[in-house]
Amino acid sequence: MGAAATRHAAVLQGAGFIVSLLLLWELASALGWLRPHSFPPPSRIAQGAWELAVRGFPEGVRVWTHTLVTLRRIFSGFALAMLAAIPLGLLIGRSPTLDALTNPVITFARSVATLSLLPLVIVWFGTGELSKTLLIAYGCFWVMLSNVIAGVKYVDPVLVRAARTMDTPGREIFTHIVLPAALPRIFAGARTALGVGFMVIVGAEMIGTIEGLGALIMEARTFYRTDVTIVGMMLLGVMGVLFALGMEALERRLLPWHRGLSEVRR
Amino acid sequence: MNPRAANALLGAAGILLTLGAWELVARSGIVSQSVFPAPFHALATGLAKVPLADLGGHVWISLQRIALGFAAGALLGVGLAVAGGWYRTFGNLVRPVVELLRPIPPLAWIPMAIVWFGLGEPSKVFVIFLGAFFPVLTNTWKGMANIDPTLLRAGQTMGLSGPELLLKVAIPATLPDIATGLRIGWGLAFGVLVAAELIAAESGLGYLIMNARQLGEVEVIILGILVIGAANLVTDNLLARVLARWLNRSSEGSLP
Repeated sequence: MGAAATRHAAVLQGAGFIVSLLLLWELASALGWLRPHSFPPPSRIAQGAWELAVRGFPEGVRVWTHTLVTLRRIFSGFALAMLAAIPLGLLIGRSPTLDALTNPVITFARSVATLSLLPLVIVWFGTGELSKTLLIAYGCFWVMLSNVIAGVKYVDPVLVRAARTMDTPGREIFTHIVLPAALPRIFAGARTALGVGFMVIVGAEMIGTIEGLGALIMEARTFYRTDVTIVGMMLLGVMGVLFALGMEALERRLLPWHRGLSEVRR
Repeated sequence: MNPRAANALLGAAGILLTLGAWELVARSGIVSQSVFPAPFHALATGLAKVPLADLGGHVWISLQRIALGFAAGALLGVGLAVAGGWYRTFGNLVRPVVELLRPIPPLAWIPMAIVWFGLGEPSKVFVIFLGAFFPVLTNTWKGMANIDPTLLRAGQTMGLSGPELLLKVAIPATLPDIATGLRIGWGLAFGVLVAAELIAAESGLGYLIMNARQLGEVEVIILGILVIGAANLVTDNLLARVLARWLNRSSEGSLP
């Protein structure tokens, strides 16, 4: 009861603080202390959101289009990365030789900042959809690959030995022991990869497109509509939160045998 | 041969194989060499176009920007999280604001950074700062929230209280989490760099490769990408080493 009451008070304090900040912000711009272009007041932002939903920005491209385009880009890149990284990672993780062979290359490829590939993919594939998808796929791929490898590599050897003493065939050891034991880490990799894709998309959308939330926030700035920029930022934030929640729910659903993820979560 | 040496050899073989495959594909003529140059040719041509001194200059400027943004992010992140974790009311007020802002990707701040700080140096440093700030803050906060209460009570029994308890017990107990946050923050700061340098920069690695794209110099782009990767790898390892030493020393010193 006492803990619940403290928790309640904490939420109230936080919410009250945010509301008073917003009111102060509104007041400060009404009084002319804040320039509306640099800090559009909450009421302006609300108008911008309304306009984005009804008329669209640029005119005709409404908020749903921007959001869906961004989602489609993230998911196509992410799916591509999963398709390539999971089988490859399972293969490398099972073989110490392959692991040693590929380790430095993977480490380096992971260190390459994904967005630094932007100019290269533009030269190779132009500024269209393919470039964006590949860029996101690159970012997701290496994160995913190293997590799949680690997942398979660090399966408790006792489990595998126990299965061997029971004369379990190699294939079954893989499907019944290695894979389930590795899945939590693979899942953690997928979650991190989605986060990476989410980070890359904004940068990727700043070039050669007017659709997508990343493009929206840059375009809006160019036309002195910072209220719309802020709406776009908020949408990106909401999207990020929904991704994280969705992955968590999926994980609870798919991996009921795995409780505390603390050992794989950084 | 001992297994470590064998692994190192295999790793070297893997690098050579990768470069070999790249070289082979490039020379096969499937794609034109001007679009997909072979590795050594790319490096040699790239270095001919951007002499080592210039390249070093770009690296230096980028590293300065990262270091500046990272330092600001780390200081503010640790400061806010320690204060918020220690003073409950302050924490209750700040945490929700942070949680509202944190999900916004650092790059999404670029337009507002331009509006607030113009096209100069501060806007780039600001975006890099955001990349480092949030991971440092959340990890430090987590560490502060998970301090073993026994440690705090032991400190109190020995007569520590208030700021002294914070400095001598709470913060040292949080150091491992701070270190984790710093490493993640450094990685993100690096990831954000290129995009930050897209903002009308006239120097730095991000500028170098984006400019090379306009000039159609694929070799310079490849050189730049490899240099960015190498710089990230080297500095991340350095940071890991410094942090490990720092953690060791602090655990030998003030804490049992």
